Amino acid sequence: MRTRDRLAPWLLMAPALSIAVVFFGLPTLFMARMSFNLRPDERLYVPGFTFEHYAGLISDPLFLAAIWTTVRLAVMASLCTVLLGYGFALLVWLKPARWRLGFIALAVCPLLISEISVIFGWWMFFPRNGLLSFALVSSHLIDDKISLLYTEFAAFVGLVYLSLPFCFFILLSVFDGIDKSLLEASADLCARPLTTAREILLPLTRTGLVVAFAQSFIWTIGSYATPSALGPDTLWTIGYLIQEQMLGKHNWPKAAAFSMVLTAGVALLMVLMRRLMAQRKAFHA
Amino acid sequence: MPQGYALELRGVRRRFGSVVAVDDVTLEVEKGEFVTLLGPSGSGKTSTLRLIGGFEKLDGGHILIDGQRVDHLPPYSRDTATIFQSGALFPHKTVAQNIAYGLRMRGVAEAEVATRVHGILDVVRLSGYADRYPAQLSGGQKQRVALARSMVVQPAVLLFDEPLSALDLSLRMQLRAEIKRLHDEIGFTGIFVTHDQGEAMAMSSRVAVMDRGRIRQIDTPEKVFHEPADEFVFTFIGESSCLPVRIAAGAAFDASGAPVPLKLARPLADGEWRIHVRPFALKFGEQAARAENRLTATHSFVEFLGQFRRHHVRAGDLELFVDVEGDEPPCAPGASLEIGWNDADMRAYRR
Repeated sequence: MRTRDRLAPWLLMAPALSIAVVFFGLPTLFMARMSFNLRPDERLYVPGFTFEHYAGLISDPLFLAAIWTTVRLAVMASLCTVLLGYGFALLVWLKPARWRLGFIALAVCPLLISEISVIFGWWMFFPRNGLLSFALVSSHLIDDKISLLYTEFAAFVGLVYLSLPFCFFILLSVFDGIDKSLLEASADLCARPLTTAREILLPLTRTGLVVAFAQSFIWTIGSYATPSALGPDTLWTIGYLIQEQMLGKHNWPKAAAFSMVLTAGVALLMVLMRRLMAQRKAFHA
Repeated sequence: MPQGYALELRGVRRRFGSVVAVDDVTLEVEKGEFVTLLGPSGSGKTSTLRLIGGFEKLDGGHILIDGQRVDHLPPYSRDTATIFQSGALFPHKTVAQNIAYGLRMRGVAEAEVATRVHGILDVVRLSGYADRYPAQLSGGQKQRVALARSMVVQPAVLLFDEPLSALDLSLRMQLRAEIKRLHDEIGFTGIFVTHDQGEAMAMSSRVAVMDRGRIRQIDTPEKVFHEPADEFVFTFIGESSCLPVRIAAGAAFDASGAPVPLKLARPLADGEWRIHVRPFALKFGEQAARAENRLTATHSFVEFLGQFRRHHVRAGDLELFVDVEGDEPPCAPGASLEIGWNDADMRAYRR
C-alpha cells in the first residue's frame, strides 16, 4: 500500500514525463555533450572533451554582437506583441459574448498558415512594388515607391506577427479570470476609466503580462526563418550564427555551444520570471 | 426642489433587442426610504437597478438623483454606490484599501480617509480585518466589506443588487438583520433588488413588485401582503392554494367537467375563475363548519414542516394544500374532509 501511494504520482506523470524526457531532455543532453567535442579538422566533430568552443565565444566579437542584435530584436518585438495582444484581448473580453467566436477565429488564422507561407506573404507586402508601398503611395502619404523588405523593421514586424496569436490567447485567459463587475464597482466608486485601468486592471493582469512577454521573448529569440528571410543580410542573430556553423562551416561542436548559450539564457530568464511571479502576493487563494 | 426625493424614475424604459426589460417604470423614493424591487428573474428589477447606477443606457424616460437629471451620466459621475451580488471586492487590495477606494476617488484627504475607514469597519463589525485580503474572508464578511465600501462614501442612494442571494440561509438572515439595523441607525436611502419575498417584507419601507418590466404594485409590505393589487402579486408575495374552476349557473366544475362540491358565500358570475386562498387561511373540522366558504375534499397526504403540517387534499381534479399548526386533525389518506375559509382570505380572478 505504502509503495503504491508513493508510486502513484510518478505513474500518473509518466506519460507526460516520458515525452518531455525523450523529445526535449535527451536532445538537449546530446547537444550539451556535442558542445564539448573536438573539431581538429574539417570533419563534423571528433569525440573528446574541450572547453575551447565556449572560451572562443566569449572572445568572439561577432558572437557578442549577435547576442545583442538578437536580444534587442526579441525585446522590441515582444514589447510590441504584448502591447497589441493586451489591447486585442481587452477588446475581446469587454465586447459582448456573441462577438467572441469571430475574434477568436481571427486570432487563430495566422496559426493555420506555416511560417514559410507567412514569409512568402511578407515578400508580397514589403518590396518596392508590394502592397505596402502601393498603399502608401496611393494614399499620398509618400511620393515615391518604397521597399521595406530586407530591413530590420520587416524582421521586427514578421516576429510580432509570429508571436501575437499566442500572446493574445494567454492574455485573454488572464482577462477571463477577472470578474467584470470589478470594473463596474470601480466606476461606481467614482473612478474614471483610466484610473480603473491603472488601479484595477493593470495590477490584476500584471502576472499575465509577464508570462505573455516571456513566451513572446522565447518565441522570437529562438526563431530563425523569419528574421533571416525578412531582415537585411547583416542581421546576424544567434539563430543565424548557429545555422552558419551547422550547415555552412560544418562545425557541429561550435553550433552546439552557441545553442547551449541560447538555451541557458532562456532557461535563466524563465527562472527569473518565475521568481518575480512567486514574490507577488497570492490573492487568488 | 419642491419635494426633495432622493431618487425619481419617470417613465423609464430599457430594451434589449426586441425584449422590453424595463417598461415605463415610474418610482419616487424619499430620503431615508428603503425600497425593494421584488420580482421573479426576468422581471426587470436588476435592469432597473443597473439603469439607476448608470451601467445600462436609458431608452426612454428620466432618472433624477437629488432632483438632478442623471439620465446619461456615466456611473463615475453619479452619486450612487452599488453592493454587487458577487461583492466585487478588489482581490489585490486589502479590506481597508477596498473601503478607502471610493473616498480616494472622491479626493477625500488621507487623514480623513483613515478615520472614516476605521469608523465604518466598526459599524459593520469587522474592526480586526483591515489588513486582510478578500480571499481570506468568509462569504458573509466579504458582503459586509462590500456594504462598508459603498456606505462609506455616503452616496445619495445605495443600490443593493441581490447581495444576499449567494449566501447560505443562516448567514442571509443574519446579514438581512444587519442591513436593517444599519438602515435604522444611519438612515441611508436604499434600493434593494431581490426575488425573495421574505427578504423584501422584512427589510423594506416599501415593496415594488415587478413583473415583465413593469411595477405591478408598490406599497408597504403589509399592504402588499394583505391587499395585493392583482393575481400576480398575490401569488408571488406568498404561497397560495389555487382552485381553477368553471362556474355555470351557480355550480362549480373542474377542468374535466365534473361538478365540484364547492359552496361560496358570495356566488361568482358564470365563467372561468381561479380562486386563491393562503394555505394558512384554509381551515379543517369545526372551524371549517363556521367558515363562509366550504369545499368537501379527500385527504391525500401530509408533509411535516416543523412549525406546521401541510395537508394535501383533492376534490375531483383540484389539488390544494392546507397548513395547520400542531397535529390536528389526525386523518388518514382517503378520508373525506370539510375545508373552509372566509371571504376576506379569498381572491377570485377571472382566467
